[in-house]
Amino acid sequence: MDQNYVDLEADSVDKLLTQAYEVAYDKGWTDGLPIIPPTAESVQRFIAASGRAGDELIGIITPRKGRATVEAIAINSIMAGCRPEYMPVIIAAVDGLTDPTFPLEVMQLSTNAITPFLLINGPVRKILDINSGTGCLGPGWRANATIGRAIRLILLNIGGALPGIYSRSSFSSPLRYSYICGENEEENPWTPFHVDHGFKREDSTVTVFRAANFSNISGGEGVGPDEILRQIASHMPPMWGGGGFVLLLGLNHAESLHAAGLTKQDIQQKLWELARSPTSNYSKAFVNRERSVGRADADTVWRSKSPDENYIVVAGGPGPQNVYIAAGLPQIRLIKGIDAAK
Amino acid sequence: MIAADNFVNFGRRVAATQGFPYLVIAETPNPVRQLDAAALHVRAEGMIDTVVAGLTLGPESLEHRFKDVAKQQIHPDGVVRSEIPI
Repeated sequence: MDQNYVDLEADSVDKLLTQAYEVAYDKGWTDGLPIIPPTAESVQRFIAASGRAGDELIGIITPRKGRATVEAIAINSIMAGCRPEYMPVIIAAVDGLTDPTFPLEVMQLSTNAITPFLLINGPVRKILDINSGTGCLGPGWRANATIGRAIRLILLNIGGALPGIYSRSSFSSPLRYSYICGENEEENPWTPFHVDHGFKREDSTVTVFRAANFSNISGGEGVGPDEILRQIASHMPPMWGGGGFVLLLGLNHAESLHAAGLTKQDIQQKLWELARSPTSNYSKAFVNRERSVGRADADTVWRSKSPDENYIVVAGGPGPQNVYIAAGLPQIRLIKGIDAAK
Repeated sequence: MIAADNFVNFGRRVAATQGFPYLVIAETPNPVRQLDAAALHVRAEGMIDTVVAGLTLGPESLEHRFKDVAKQQIHPDGVVRSEIPI
């Protein structure tokens, strides 16, 4: 990313900040919201907090084939309102997003509104105050709001996925402002997501998913595990772009299902069996396509091809609520140097 | 390159990063995934002249033909951020 320095002068702080916002907006560097103007000093502070060299290349982002160096990531993170200590999380996420197997290119250009969803695990959640409990996907927590926003600014400014020009998402999505939460490991009766994938509990990780939606599933409380899972599955329709899902299991249902003796694998299996709909509900072309990729039989179309594509995470606060995210293709990265960044 | 019309700018931008700003791009209306073989055949016939041009025109002819088109697709008028060099 080529840096363009702009000299701004004003006789008051509010005029200076407004000027910075207007200049950044006019140059197309923002998501539309106000930004914190990066300075040479603040960029150096963020680079130092990363524990890496400013010119270290983390990845290449299409369509501009922009170089996501630590310095370029720092600039966008400052603009997003991040604190310097968030840098290791953002760098790890960019590393995951630019993995050759992750479909970032299609996410940058598609008429669909697919966007990265970031799941944070481990001690970093407490260190940086990344919300994993009540309200974890909504406003009110700086780390959640600004780390997710930094990712979007990186995709826009380094990747050059200009909305309406190269990014052709017909509607785009509010999820493209920030889509991130921690796992509520403290109230998770099972092992955390990252431990299930070979990391130690004391490791901090970020997992990036290709995500297509947000759906809050309400109700089903107190009627037993079968009914809870049936209620959840009824909100998971087969859809174009299929694949699996992330189920953010709320605390009430996590506790009920665990108390009933179900493991995460049991839940994955049960939801795989239940999240199916009659072929008669769908167009023939859709059914044929789903059959060709192993997500339909003679009578039903399935949400996912196998139970392994159904990722179970515990998050959020008390209440009979869960969140279903049509998501898959996770890339998990260890967050390095978080202690040094504090 | 063959591209659905929605994605021609994206394709041109990516091609330019690889040193081919004047790449010949055959366009067809988006979407294409629902088309059966017969409909795809019709679409292919509609693009064949462009494909032949891409295979037969020399570099100077390509530059002459696509210079203005490529400029607009890579750096669209009024989009300041697109001016950041590739």
